[in-house]
Amino acid sequence: MQFDQAIDIPDVLLRDDLTVSLADERLRYSLRIKSENLVAFKKITSLKLPSKINSSTRSSKEICIKFGPDEWLVITDPARAKTLGKAFAKASKEFVCSVTEVSHRNVAFTISGERAAQLINVGCPLDLSLDAFPVGKVTRTVFESAQIVLLRSGETEFYIECWRSFGPYLRDFFTRFVTTRL
Amino acid sequence: MSAFRKSGRGHGVGTKAVSFSFDGQSYQGVEGDTVASALLANGVHLMGRSFKYHRPRGVVGAGSEEPNALITVDCGTGRVTPNVRATTQEIYDGLTVRSQNSYPDLKFDLGAFNNVFSMFFPAGFYNKTFMWPKGFWDKVYEPFIRNLAGLGPAPEADDPDVYASSYGHCDILIVGAGPAGIAAALSAAKKGGRVILADENPDLGGSLLSTAGVEIEGQPAEKWLAKSLRALEKSDNVTLMPRMTAIGYFHDNFVALSERLTHHKKTQPGKAREELHRIRAGQVILAQGGIERPLVFNGNDKPGVMLASAAHTYLNRYGVAVGKEAVVFTSHDSAYHAAFDLADANIRIAAIVDARDAPNASVIAEANRRGIDVKTGAVISKTFGKLRVSAVEVYEPKLGAKTKVGCDAVLMSGGWTPSLHLWSHSKGGIKWSPALSAYVPDEANENAICVGACNGDFGIAEALSAGNKAGGGRKSFAVTEPEFGTGEVFNSLPNYITETKQKSFVDFQNDVTEKDIKLAVREGFKSIEHVKRYTTNGMATDQGKTSNLNALEIASKAVGKPIEKVGLTTFRPPYTPTTFGTFVGYRDGELFDPTRKTSIDPWADENGAVFEPVGIWRRAWYFPKAGEDMHAAVARECKATRDSLGIFDASTLGKIEVVGPDAAKFMNLMYTNPWSALPVGGCRYGLMCRDDGYIYDDGVVGRMAEDRFHVTTTTGGAPRVYRHMEDYLQTEFQHLDVWLTSTTEQWAVIAINGPNARKLIAPLVEGIDLSPEAFPHMTLREGMICGVPTRLFRVSFTGELGFEINVPSHYGRAVWEALIEAGQQYDICPYGTETMHVLRAEKGFIIVGQDTDGTVTAHDAGMSWAVSKKKKDFVGKRSLARPDLVADGRKQLVGLLTEDANVVLEEGAQIVDDPNQPIPMDMLGHVTSSYWSETLGRSIAMAVVRDGLSHMDSTLHVPIADTVHKVKVVKPVFYDPKGERLNAV
Repeated sequence: MQFDQAIDIPDVLLRDDLTVSLADERLRYSLRIKSENLVAFKKITSLKLPSKINSSTRSSKEICIKFGPDEWLVITDPARAKTLGKAFAKASKEFVCSVTEVSHRNVAFTISGERAAQLINVGCPLDLSLDAFPVGKVTRTVFESAQIVLLRSGETEFYIECWRSFGPYLRDFFTRFVTTRL
Repeated sequence: MSAFRKSGRGHGVGTKAVSFSFDGQSYQGVEGDTVASALLANGVHLMGRSFKYHRPRGVVGAGSEEPNALITVDCGTGRVTPNVRATTQEIYDGLTVRSQNSYPDLKFDLGAFNNVFSMFFPAGFYNKTFMWPKGFWDKVYEPFIRNLAGLGPAPEADDPDVYASSYGHCDILIVGAGPAGIAAALSAAKKGGRVILADENPDLGGSLLSTAGVEIEGQPAEKWLAKSLRALEKSDNVTLMPRMTAIGYFHDNFVALSERLTHHKKTQPGKAREELHRIRAGQVILAQGGIERPLVFNGNDKPGVMLASAAHTYLNRYGVAVGKEAVVFTSHDSAYHAAFDLADANIRIAAIVDARDAPNASVIAEANRRGIDVKTGAVISKTFGKLRVSAVEVYEPKLGAKTKVGCDAVLMSGGWTPSLHLWSHSKGGIKWSPALSAYVPDEANENAICVGACNGDFGIAEALSAGNKAGGGRKSFAVTEPEFGTGEVFNSLPNYITETKQKSFVDFQNDVTEKDIKLAVREGFKSIEHVKRYTTNGMATDQGKTSNLNALEIASKAVGKPIEKVGLTTFRPPYTPTTFGTFVGYRDGELFDPTRKTSIDPWADENGAVFEPVGIWRRAWYFPKAGEDMHAAVARECKATRDSLGIFDASTLGKIEVVGPDAAKFMNLMYTNPWSALPVGGCRYGLMCRDDGYIYDDGVVGRMAEDRFHVTTTTGGAPRVYRHMEDYLQTEFQHLDVWLTSTTEQWAVIAINGPNARKLIAPLVEGIDLSPEAFPHMTLREGMICGVPTRLFRVSFTGELGFEINVPSHYGRAVWEALIEAGQQYDICPYGTETMHVLRAEKGFIIVGQDTDGTVTAHDAGMSWAVSKKKKDFVGKRSLARPDLVADGRKQLVGLLTEDANVVLEEGAQIVDDPNQPIPMDMLGHVTSSYWSETLGRSIAMAVVRDGLSHMDSTLHVPIADTVHKVKVVKPVFYDPKGERLNAV
């Protein structure tokens, strides 16, 4: 079956100082784990779940985000589905937790370049200076009328997730900024 | 070079000639000019007509405080901006501007007849006149007043331009780049935090650009300025923002600034014209400066009469002489220095008229040295000239002398007013300064400080050291400058002419005179807020920047109370008039709000769907074929579904995954139905109440596992149901081990309905036994369809054999297309929300929000069966036993059949028992849903009717327009009441 996120990225978003790209297929889980079970959960699943709220762990294929005292989002390689599925089943048997797959709920953009922060500040009211929002910091926030997950993946690179139907809205906003303001 | 351009002056202009047009005539200015400075350089003072009396008016100021010179900037269709101040509009080649309030032209204006009859237009005339005859108001008086009242043409076409907006942060935001602001920026830059220095003008420098002969640190001021700006430009941590007006100061140092990106250039289609910057600052340093106060004297609005500081600015910033021969009328020393500087530029000062008996000796001495005639204790009692001042009459009350003095400009100064606008937005306190006769900042409310003239500290040396200190420095500056001096404020100037014959303007823009304010007080308005509203003083686009304190002085005298007791009107954002475009920013058209679309939406779009908005979702409404209207399309879609097979995109249904060992307990608390006994793989219709017992939402819920429920909600209700559940979970039900995850967008949902539904999916499904015995109505199974994972529900919202196929969203379109292709043999028919509504109404299924309105209980809706009687508790349970919810007389959901089967009632139509009773009739209820049912070949309707169940089979009446329709009350199930089709094998 055709995998279709229905979001085209126009060429104007591919600049030297600002590039927006759409992430390809990802496997995503929303995890809810009580703190007393976190160590055991990590051991069973081998996931590098961060322990500080609004922080992340990142590798080339996997991002783990902690949003709240008991809430994580794991974004990983679809090839890991079977392994993780087994691990989650095992963990769920051993202690109380909640695992919900949300792979297709979200889409993700990578925004990179010198103007990346400027673009995000078009619709996001957070202070994105490196002191206030260092590499690795992540939060649930807004971009205009869309709720987003904003992660700083590099000094001039951000990773944004939003619900699928808000993706074209973000893309259109990004495009409007580039065509009218740059 | 034009006659009024002075060589050797003009810090802010270049030499390149620029052509523009004003009222159809071409003029030349130079690069850096504003419309006002360029017109003045051409000897033009007459720039507009006043609002009420259409009096000829010239420029009064040189900046954003300008009350008179309002122009319309015309950049083509949709790009016409009214009420732009000529003093802030920069010129460029090809700029076209027009004067306002004048017909047929500025020099001969028919509206000026108002001036002749001005005695009929006193303060409050709107409230006093036009009251009789009453019928004349909307046909005669109001159009007449509206026609006269406009301050410029309202836009006639859509604005084709685009606007931008952004958020920003800094440690220190400095508003105003005069000496105080620049000194603050220089010292703040050294401390290393992020500094923003914003100024509304194109050039930074403020008063330093307006003065001459000032030395700072041993250098001429302009050199010091250039050096300082270079230093700031080089600082990595400083951002300089010219053409940036701070328009509002909100909580927690959140400041809105409007940047004019292209106002000084030819129209650039597609490029943002303005940008709204929303900046959160650690600290705000306000260096807004001060505004000179006009003097209120008879004839003070004649073109050529202007603020002394404005004339000074025109000379030094723009190199423009405002006339050849000026009379200075003042009550403050500062105007003397402007006069001396103008004299140095060979503008003859015909006289200095000082209202004070004993001005500062040093300025008198300097005037005498220069041979300038100074008359003390004197006033201007009248001005001569029609479209431009040509002479003034100087009146010396003590001598009784009247002297006519010829001039082509009058420079007035009534002292200075610190600009408190943003400070007041921030709710900073203010106090009265008797020395300045003005309010000055008091206690701060935010982390903010006022420095320089806006703090009442006038003079460049004061401004520099205050700014430096505010920015964190400890430097003092060696400055050579004329002494700022002192002044005296008069709450009324003497005149031998009777008051009724005088025209002494206080608010130039709204044409409010001294006698208007006195009249208001005489008529009983004692508070300045009331005086303001009655006279409209300070209520024009300039918000009284030049008039408020003069009005206050006059009112205070008239009321006979000290000025502090009369109060001060409130300053409100925006500081200067701001376009709607600035506020809209990027959010026009498509970007106004997100339009959520499903994964199947592109297919619907390509296949001719007509869409309707549902919340912020867009949903396919119906799929018309060539030549079909909505009625025909919906009739065909209904029939096809009942006869064979329909396919519907139900992806927008809200979905919440409820997971945890206490999931069933939580469901028992949140829904009225019982959940404990629902087996894994079972589905149940769930009804949700608020704590008031009224129906809040509904939807089918499937049990995926002992500890996992797949909850569906209405499309529009998804966010509120999620919030409602989360609220209870986090407050009342913290003891439960259960978590919620929104999965609305995880799943694309394809509803398949019709007798051939099973046949369609059978070859495409793997891992699920679809036989009726293994997979009965109201169950769900997991497996594969078309090669992708599915949660397959056997449910029906149509009354037909139905399945809801949940597949991961990014596969939604592909699976949909596969089903469409496979369904060709059954003439599969895609249908939209309208058909869905009709099919469910035929079965009597309610839609929450349509058949319920937040005051309907489960019992009212005929759904007591969905309310558990055994459960000890659930949200709403106690309210359901409230006396008013169990009393007779509640509206209950019923079906209606019209006597004439072809009549489709209007939704919302009222229902009465006896149509012959007098109006207002006793209304029993209203129609909630009404459709043509193709299946039944007649209309059907649902309604809420008082004691509806007891009216069963009786006849009621629905008056619509001129007709009364007879309706029979029936059970709200019109089709297949036993559900035989639903459970079809």
